[in-house]
Amino acid sequence: MKPSVSEAEFEVMVKQTGLPLSPEQKTTLYDAYWMLEAMIAKVNTPMPREIEPAHMFTTEVR
Amino acid sequence: MDPILTIAEASKLIAEKKLSPVELTNDCLARMKALDDTLHAFILPTEERALADARAAEARVMAGVAKGPLDGIPIGHKDIYNTAGIRTTGHSRLLEDNVPAQDATTVRKWAEAGTVLMGKLSTHEFAMGGPSFDLPWPPARNPWNPEHFTSGSSSGTGAAVASGMILGGTGSDTGGSIRGPAALCGIAGIKPTYGLVSRAGVLPLSFSMDHAGPMAWTVEDCALLLQAMAGYDPSDPASADRPVADFVSGIGKGVKGMRIGVVRHFFEADNPVSPATLAGINHALDVFEHLGAEISEVKLSPMEDYHACGWLIISSEAYAVHEPWLKTRLNDYGELFRDRLALGGFIRATDYVQAMRRRRMLCEQMKAAMAGYDILVSASQATEAPKITEVSKWGSMEKPSLTIPFNLTGHPAMSVSTGLGAGGLPVSMQLIAKPFAEATLFQAGHAYEMAVGTRKRRPMMALAEAAE
Repeated sequence: MKPSVSEAEFEVMVKQTGLPLSPEQKTTLYDAYWMLEAMIAKVNTPMPREIEPAHMFTTEVR
Repeated sequence: MDPILTIAEASKLIAEKKLSPVELTNDCLARMKALDDTLHAFILPTEERALADARAAEARVMAGVAKGPLDGIPIGHKDIYNTAGIRTTGHSRLLEDNVPAQDATTVRKWAEAGTVLMGKLSTHEFAMGGPSFDLPWPPARNPWNPEHFTSGSSSGTGAAVASGMILGGTGSDTGGSIRGPAALCGIAGIKPTYGLVSRAGVLPLSFSMDHAGPMAWTVEDCALLLQAMAGYDPSDPASADRPVADFVSGIGKGVKGMRIGVVRHFFEADNPVSPATLAGINHALDVFEHLGAEISEVKLSPMEDYHACGWLIISSEAYAVHEPWLKTRLNDYGELFRDRLALGGFIRATDYVQAMRRRRMLCEQMKAAMAGYDILVSASQATEAPKITEVSKWGSMEKPSLTIPFNLTGHPAMSVSTGLGAGGLPVSMQLIAKPFAEATLFQAGHAYEMAVGTRKRRPMMALAEAAE
């Protein structure tokens, strides 16, 4: 499988992370990125607005 | 060397003064010295501490002030559990010289219960990167065949328990890291309900997915260990402020009338398991039915839905934990963990939030699906252990995980060995209960183990040592 983004676009994404990746490391991650894209697509299918709260927090600190 | 005992057996003998904790500890130490050059289950054995703990336990027993069923029992801690004054590395070069000042809450609790600390156990780097061959310590090997993988990340605990170097140990489970090695090493391991066991002092991987729990040879032993580690701890923000159930007294009551749901599409369609794994699960269902349980099939969302949510959450949260080191010490990580972790840097905040929203939906669906059941049955691992040199860097992401659904929902889930499959390697099943119903899991798992007798067979290499 291939990612939907080009290697040049991926290069920009790497730069945004600020990680000091070597060319080999970038290639490794680029080749694996399709798996992440598939997961991201799966959680971004339309869903009802009312399914909140996604998060909760407790005001009281124990 | 004496036969390898379970915790329940050793505990009974110690209480009756028929077994000395020092003698028991020496047996485990002898097994460790004979086997660990091959198995690499320990990162740091603590022999002096073990003998001191054992002598103290023996003195208590002789004075009639034993602390309970774990007094004098040799255990080990996965090397992400902080141990005061004892190096805790996360199996990583980044923490090679890290010596915590305080015990993790669970380490303290087990020590207070009288356990004998045998040492710190191998893990995958920071509980996610393994099996790695470029770290300061080698990966643990499977006692059923050292050429094969233990699964991870609680790899050292799985190997050490199966081979009898310890009677029980700690694991952690973010996507299956207790149940995976329990399955492939042929032991029992439980990921308790989220919030039941404190994670304070355990190196974090993913705040909302991490669970701490015990691993041991039998289901009953897991119950004894969990009893001594569960409970509210204000130091862990996720800790549940509620009374701890009695996990032990239901053991032996059987499964008559228990309603068991089989999530067959998980292990037959979503991630089809090996023939021996499938046969083991089907046989277990026959056993449960024969013992009086009611069996029917239950359908959940496709496992891929859980898998996608789970991995996005783990990757995002783990990246957040490690980002400062990733930017400054990238190449001090092993290759596997570094690459798996770095992918998390490409997940947008909105994707993480969408995964959390999906998680809520899946939790609600699981609650509704479980309403008519006491436990669910699925698989723990899809196949017998592969060769350790053939584990793919991305293998755990490529196919939907059988274990991650219950990290996502927080339900208690336990791996129970169903015997041996191809190549004489262990196969298993997974039992799942409602939140905080661990006692039901122990009741069912123990009934199965007693009915089929799978706990009588140890790895040959451990038996050979025991016979000498």
